[in-house]
Amino acid sequence: MSAELLFQQALNGLSFGALLFILAAGLSLVFGMMDVVNLAHGAFYMLGAYLALSVVQLTGSFWVAMLAAPLALGLLGLILEPLLLRRLRGRHLDQVLLTIGVSLIVVDQIGVVWGREVRSLAAPAGLDGSVALFGGDYPVYRLFVIGLGIALAAVVTLVYRRTALGMHIRAGVEDAQMLGALGVDIDRLFALTFAAGAALAGLAGVVAAPVFGLQPGMDVDALLYSLVVVVVGGLGTLGGAVVGSVLIGPADTFGKVLFQEFALAVIFAIVALVLLLRPTGLLGRIRIAR
Amino acid sequence: MGSDAPLIEVHELSRSFGGIRALDSVSFAVQSGERRAVIGPNGAGKTTLFNVLTGEIAPSGGSVRVAGDDITRLRPWQRARRGIARMYQRNELFAPLAARENVALAVSARAGPYRFVGAPSPAESAFADELLTRVGLAGREGVPARALSHGERRQLELAVALAQNPRVLLLDEPTAGMSPAETARITELIAGLDRTLTIVIVEHDMDVVFRLADRVSVLHEGRVIADGTAADVRGDTRVNEVYLGKVVVR
Amino acid sequence: MRRVFIWPAAAIGAAALVTFPYWTAEWESSRFATTVLRDILVFAIFALSLDLLVGRAGMPSLGHAAFFGAGAYAAGVATQRLGTDQLPLTLGAAALVAAALALLIGTLVVRSEGIFFLMLTLAFAQIVFAIAFQWTSVTGGSNGLAGIARPFLGGIDLNPPDRMYVLVSATFLAVVLLVRAVAGSPYGRVLVGIRENERRMRALGYDTARIRLSAFVLAGSIAGIAGALSAYSLRFVSAQDVGIGTSIRAFVMVLVGGAGTLAGPVIGAAVVLYVERILSSAVPVAETVLGLLFVAFVLLARRGIVGIGGAAWARMRR
Repeated sequence: MSAELLFQQALNGLSFGALLFILAAGLSLVFGMMDVVNLAHGAFYMLGAYLALSVVQLTGSFWVAMLAAPLALGLLGLILEPLLLRRLRGRHLDQVLLTIGVSLIVVDQIGVVWGREVRSLAAPAGLDGSVALFGGDYPVYRLFVIGLGIALAAVVTLVYRRTALGMHIRAGVEDAQMLGALGVDIDRLFALTFAAGAALAGLAGVVAAPVFGLQPGMDVDALLYSLVVVVVGGLGTLGGAVVGSVLIGPADTFGKVLFQEFALAVIFAIVALVLLLRPTGLLGRIRIAR
Repeated sequence: MGSDAPLIEVHELSRSFGGIRALDSVSFAVQSGERRAVIGPNGAGKTTLFNVLTGEIAPSGGSVRVAGDDITRLRPWQRARRGIARMYQRNELFAPLAARENVALAVSARAGPYRFVGAPSPAESAFADELLTRVGLAGREGVPARALSHGERRQLELAVALAQNPRVLLLDEPTAGMSPAETARITELIAGLDRTLTIVIVEHDMDVVFRLADRVSVLHEGRVIADGTAADVRGDTRVNEVYLGKVVVR
Repeated sequence: MRRVFIWPAAAIGAAALVTFPYWTAEWESSRFATTVLRDILVFAIFALSLDLLVGRAGMPSLGHAAFFGAGAYAAGVATQRLGTDQLPLTLGAAALVAAALALLIGTLVVRSEGIFFLMLTLAFAQIVFAIAFQWTSVTGGSNGLAGIARPFLGGIDLNPPDRMYVLVSATFLAVVLLVRAVAGSPYGRVLVGIRENERRMRALGYDTARIRLSAFVLAGSIAGIAGALSAYSLRFVSAQDVGIGTSIRAFVMVLVGGAGTLAGPVIGAAVVLYVERILSSAVPVAETVLGLLFVAFVLLARRGIVGIGGAAWARMRR
C-alpha cells in the first residue's frame, strides 16, 4: 500500500471512529446510568438520518437538520422514557426487551413514511469539496466529521466533569439509587439521560448520512457497531466509548481494505480477544443487572 | 493420619478493595471437628473472610488449605465439591421453588448435572424431606421459598448447606433476624451436629457464640486480634475495648 | 380423572397434526393451510429451542438465528455442493454444524449474564450474518442458496409438499417430546436453579459456566435442525435466516407465547406467523404490529399468552 493510500485510509479510519464515538457515546451513557442497553439505538440513528432528509428537503439547510433531528430524537426519548421504560424500573432485562419492540415499530414506520428505497443526502455546501492533502484529494466532509467527533468528545467531557449535571450523571452512573436517596430527582435525570442518548444517536444519523447514505438495515449496522465499540471499550463509561471507537474505527477500515470479505471476522477476533482477557471491556465497569 | 494436623489452615490472608484493607494477614487454624466462632465489629472483615474461603473473592495474598490441600486458586464450585458448604448471611435461595426442591438441588449436586432423563430418585427426595424435618420445616416442604417466613428461610438456608453433606460448614450469621425462640432452636440444632463436621461460624449474638464455640477468633479492621477459647476471649482486654465495649478492671 | 384423558387425547392430536394434509385434502385452501402450518411448526421448533435458553436457563439470547441459519446453510450446502441427498445425513450435518458454531460462540459468551449476555449474543450473531453475507463462494452471498432439492428418506422422495409436511410435523413432535423430557429431567431442574440463583448453584458445587454452555449447544443444535427444515421447506436459504430479524422474531414468539412453557413457544410461533402472513396482506405493517404486541406483553403480560390463560384458569376455579 502506498503511503498516500495509507494516509487516506488512516483518515477514513479516524473519521469512522469519530462517527462511532458520536454513535456509541449515547448508548454507553444510557447503560451506565440506567443499566439499560437501548436496542432501539440503531433505530434512533436511522430516524435521525431520515428526519434530516426531510428537513433538508424542507429548508434546504443541512445545518438546520443537524440541529433539528437530534432535538426531535431527544424529544422522542423524553416521551418514551416516562411512558414506557419507567414502568419497568428495576426490571432491566425487560426494559431492554421493550426497546426491541420500540425498534421494530420505529423502523417499520420509517419504511412506511419514507419508503424503503436507498436514499442519499448531500453534504452541506462548503463541506462538499475535496482538499489536497499529502499528494491526494481528500473529502472535506470527512475531515469535518473528525473535527466534530473531537469537539463533541471535548464538550461531553467538559459537561461530564465540570458541571453540576455532569456530576449528577457521574454519581448516577455510580449508584443511581443512592443518588435518589440523597434527594436528586432520579426520574427527571433518567428521562434526560435517555433523551440525550437518543439525541446523540440522531446526531450520528445526520452526520453519517452524507457518507453512508440511507437504506433499510442501517439501523442494524449502527446497533452492531455501537455494541461492538461499547463492549470493547467498556460499557458504561464515556472513556470506554472513546477507546472503543478509536480502536474499532481504524480496525474496521483497514480490515475492509486488507481482508475485504472477512473484515468483520477481524472485528470478531478483536471482540473475542477483549472478552476473553477482560470480560468487562477495556475500561468498563459492569454491574450485574438481572 | 495426622489427627493433629488442622483441617483448615488460613495463612497470611489479605484482601484489599481499592484503598481499604479488608483482610490484613489473617492467619488461623481450625481442627477437624472443631466449632470456631469468628467475631468482630461490623466492617471487621468477617464476610470478606468467608467470601475468600468459599472462593467467591480472590485474596490479594496468602493461602487457604483444607485437609492439607491448597485450595486458594480453586473456584467456588470446585471448593463445594471438596466438601465446603456455606450458609449465607442474606439468604441465597431459589425463591420460586418449593423448600423441598431447594434442598433437592443441593442433594443432586453430588450426582452431577447431566442427567437428562428421569425424575428425582426417591432416595434423594426422602433425604431432602428428612433434612427439612430436622431443621424444623416439617409440613412446609412444598411451600415456595419466597412464601416462607424469615426464620423459616434461615432454617431452609441451613438445610441446603447441610444437604451438601459437607466436611466444612461455614455459617454466616445463622441467627440473623430471628426471634429468641427461633434463635434457640437453630442454636441447639447446630450444637447437635455431628463432630465429623467442622464448623466456622460468624456471629454477633454472644450467647450463641459462647454456647457453640470451642474457640473464638476475633477480627478487627481486617486483623486477628485475639484467638483462644471462649473464656480466654471474654477476658481479653483488647477484645473488650474494641468489641464488647467494656473496660475490664482487674 | 383428567389425567387419564391426556395421553389418548395427545396421541389423537399428534396423529391429526401429522396427517393434516390428508384429512383436509378436500378443503379449498388445503395447500395454503398446509404450507402455513408447516412454517409455523418449523418456527415452533426454533422457538422451543430458544425457550430452553430464555425460559428455562435464564439466558436471554438475541443471536439464536445464527444457529438456525447455520443449520439451513449446512443443509443447503450439503445438498447442493456435496451431493448428499439422504435426510439423516443432511439433518445430522445441520445439527453438527450448528452445534459446532454454538460451541464456538458459547465459549465466549457463557461467562456473562443478563444484559451483557444478550448483547454479546447479538453482536456475534451479527458477525455471523456479515460473514454469511460476504462469503459468496459458500453461502451465495446476498443471493443466498436457491433451488435446494429436498432430500430422500431411504427411497422416499420428500419432494411432494404433503411428504415434506409430514417430515416437519413429525420432527416437531419429536422435538416437543425431547424438550419436555429435558425440562422435566434433573438437568432441566439444574437449568432452572441456575436461572433462579446462579451464585447458589456454584456454591453447591455446580460448574455453572459449563452447564450453561451445554444448554447453549443443545439449543443451538435443535435450532440448526429447524433451519435445515426451513431450507428444505422453502428450498431457499439467505443471510436473513441468520440475521437479527430472525433472532428477534423467535424471541417475540417465546415471550408472547409464554416463556418457560411447552405450549408458549408454539402458540407464539402461530401468532407471529399469523400476523406476518395473514394479517399483513390486509394491513401492511406486520413489523409494527409485532412491535406493539411485544411492547404490550412486556409491559402488561410478561408471562405471555400461556400466562394469561393460566391466570384466567386459576380465576375460574375459584
